[in-house]
Amino acid sequence: MDLIHHEALVIGGGLAGLRCALALLEAGRDVALLTKVHPLRSHSVAAQGGINAALGNSPDGTDDTPERHAEDTVKGADYLADQDAVMAMCTEAPAAVYELEHRGTVFSRFEDGRIAQRPFGGAGFPRTCYAADRTGHNLLHTLYEWAIARGLRVYEEFFVTALAVADGRVTGCVALDIARDVMGGFAAPAVVLATGGYGRLFTRSTNALINTGDGAALALGAGCPLEDMEFVQFHPTTLAGSNILISEAARGEGGILLNKAGERFMARYAEKAMELAPRDIVARAIQTEVNEGRGFEGGHVHLDLTALGASRINERLPGIRRLALDFAGVDPVAKPLPVQPGQHYSMGGVPTDADGATPVPGLYACGEAACVSVHGANRLGGNSLLDTLVFGRRTGARLGPGLPELPAPDEAAVADLLRRETERITALAVREKGTKVAPLRAELRRLMFDHFGVFRDGAKMAQGLELLAGVEARAGEVAVGTAGGPFNHTLIHALELEFLLAIAPAVARGALAREESRGAHARRDFPKRDDDRFLKHTFAFRRDKVELEYREVNLGRFPVRERSY
Amino acid sequence: MLFKVQRYDPETKTSRLDSFVIGTPEGMTVLDALFRIQEQLDPSLSFRYSCRGAVCGSCAMLINKVPRLACRTQVAALFGTPTASRLKPWRALEARADWRPRTEVLVEPLPNLPVLKDLVVDMTRFFDHWRVVEPALKPAQDPPDKEYPMTPAQVAELELYTNCILCAACFGACPVNDQQADYLGPAALAKLYRFFLDPREGENDPRLLLAHNPEGWWACQFHTNCRQVCPRGVPPNIAIGQARARLRRLGKKPLDSLDHD
Ligand SMILES: Cc1cc2nc3c(=O)[nH]c(=O)nc-3n(C[C@H](O)[C@H](O)[C@H](O)COP(=O)(O)OP(=O)(O)OC[C@H]3O[C@@H](n4cnc5c(N)ncnc54)[C@H](O)[C@@H]3O)c2cc1C
Ligand code: SF4
Ligand code: FES
Repeated sequence: MDLIHHEALVIGGGLAGLRCALALLEAGRDVALLTKVHPLRSHSVAAQGGINAALGNSPDGTDDTPERHAEDTVKGADYLADQDAVMAMCTEAPAAVYELEHRGTVFSRFEDGRIAQRPFGGAGFPRTCYAADRTGHNLLHTLYEWAIARGLRVYEEFFVTALAVADGRVTGCVALDIARDVMGGFAAPAVVLATGGYGRLFTRSTNALINTGDGAALALGAGCPLEDMEFVQFHPTTLAGSNILISEAARGEGGILLNKAGERFMARYAEKAMELAPRDIVARAIQTEVNEGRGFEGGHVHLDLTALGASRINERLPGIRRLALDFAGVDPVAKPLPVQPGQHYSMGGVPTDADGATPVPGLYACGEAACVSVHGANRLGGNSLLDTLVFGRRTGARLGPGLPELPAPDEAAVADLLRRETERITALAVREKGTKVAPLRAELRRLMFDHFGVFRDGAKMAQGLELLAGVEARAGEVAVGTAGGPFNHTLIHALELEFLLAIAPAVARGALAREESRGAHARRDFPKRDDDRFLKHTFAFRRDKVELEYREVNLGRFPVRERSY
Repeated sequence: MLFKVQRYDPETKTSRLDSFVIGTPEGMTVLDALFRIQEQLDPSLSFRYSCRGAVCGSCAMLINKVPRLACRTQVAALFGTPTASRLKPWRALEARADWRPRTEVLVEPLPNLPVLKDLVVDMTRFFDHWRVVEPALKPAQDPPDKEYPMTPAQVAELELYTNCILCAACFGACPVNDQQADYLGPAALAKLYRFFLDPREGENDPRLLLAHNPEGWWACQFHTNCRQVCPRGVPPNIAIGQARARLRRLGKKPLDSLDHD
């Protein structure tokens, strides 16, 4: 089997992967992008609310600066973010937004013709630039248009199953060509993971169905640790049932939250910020209302937009109205929406510096797959689209010029991995006897949501770990049971389940070991933040089993304070 | 509920209609139903999906003879409302199937594109046509330091077209695409028009000429199936009509097509 050679491989065709690949193209490199779905089908397309940059365009935001943006980000992160990286991101934010605007993204505008900015949770100023409520869609289409115009080589519907490693260096990868049902070996001196988050580790999630943490699992398999995996953001307002996101923009525009008694309960949780408090606080407020019997049947509360009126809803939140009609059968002009918390964003991921380098030579990461960390214990809305563009670009820009100096890829290692993966996956595809993928996956997701979800506590998590061990024990005999062939989606699901299982212990053990509450990690048994013990990043290593170590947070610029809103 | 699903086996190059009976709880979408079939009844069933929220454009297929997104189609809503009746017929619509429209769900691959497996079609032609219109902004001069100014009204008009998710539902519904494989199709033409409209664009009129040919603007026969099936409310027919008007004003003559509107 011949190997395919490129100077750099970018795995992932969302915003981070495309932006990184473009930076590599601009550096004159032979880069190829591999993605398990067509790039435009990446999860990035679903981002609604917007992207943060201190442009100062809003009449209420003329005093905004990157420094203030950084300060809000660090505070929102409950001080677990690395402040140098946050500063870099916020400083580059205006340029990142203008760049996409210059390339064709149609941002919403103020009357004066400048990019409109709306208020978003945890931000001191209206800082969130948006394209109606289809910001991710607009950005992704622009980047894809740009990438294709630049002649980017895309291996579409290639599912990467493993990274090739030789002498501790990543030297390529192996991928299943889904449409042709053949395995391919790719040799390259550098591999960038831009595979998005691990939201589908949880039952209730706003994420695309394909967000299964593949990058984190691939990195683990290549000997790379994972950082802060226990930090998982739960979005307060997802449509009850389908868990489709109802963006924070709905609250930014004036939507209010009501419990069964019609009470605007946020007054009891965040007196000043109310519905615009950071999302972890709102999510826990809703979950508390539900747990204490003040929610509606089925475990939800109401998000009431009716006071906005039809014309404002149609102008500012048309996508949300459509989603509500299509997926809940409710028109927000007339009736409140049933909402409940659901997993939304993966703060943890593959550890990188502010230029995308991981601890493993030859391996880089950016976007939601990475943990730089700019989001710390809790990401602010509008900061992750920014993260993808800024760190996507930085990763490519730093990697590009140095590529020719990197050691040539180890072809034997790639060829050997290709042979082993081909054998393994061929056998898996036709295995008839054993546990079915879907029920096992459902069990895993349910246990993760119930035991490592919005609220956590030691006893419950210990129990969760036992259940997890049970699922792991049965995962060895997963049966796909098809005859093989192209577009074998059940096989893909089995491979994704393996990835989910590889990272679940890092999430679970990290959460159990962190005996404090910080940002999205909320423990009933340790309700206070404990800076003495845990103002630290968790690093999960896969040795015989998952082992945890802790690393210092890069502080220095903004003093660590109590986080109150 | 009885689901009849068109299957295609690329190895033997044969198609068949498979029947599956599954429960359809309230709120179930056709995509949910397909997953249920795949997970419980037939693991070899193939179909594309990603967002399950009608934004990624993966899951366009022919459901009860109407091209639509499986994830946005409530099973319950398929009954009681008259379907397909307003669409101008094309071959896929007329192809007979052993199916009872009042009680059964018929799921077929998106028409007008080659089938690769079951409900998965080859989108190559669709994206090739998209490339023909050179979809990337070509500004006249170097960009300003900040943003290009744009009025909310300009944004509103552009959004009509930037909302396209490239799902190809329109392509699959178009009687001209059915007859004329090289017709660029509604989505590509709407995309071209979107760049023509853009106040930042430097080659507005020259761009229109990219489709000033019998495969472009002039092939459309205004059946408006595209507009009717579009899950994002994009009106390719309006883009095409306005582009033709502009070309006429530029002194261009309609080029040979099946119909000179
Ligand atoms: C509903 C929703 C709304 C959001 N709204 C906002 C918002 O308003 N503002 C904001 O800042 N953020 C928002 N976010 C978060 C933001 O959208 C994501 O963090 C961001 O888009 C992630 O981009 P990415 O490029 O890192 O990954 P993704 O867009 O997830 O792309 C991942 C890519 O990796 C590929 N891939 C994965 N695994 C493999 C594999 N094994 N082999 C090959 N390819 C693989 C996929 O095919 C895909 O192309 C939102 C998130 C959700 C869920
Ligand atoms: S115009 Fe509408 S139907 Fe056609 S590809 Fe775009 S979104 Fe789909
Ligand atoms: S799955 Fe994304 S549009 Fe249907």
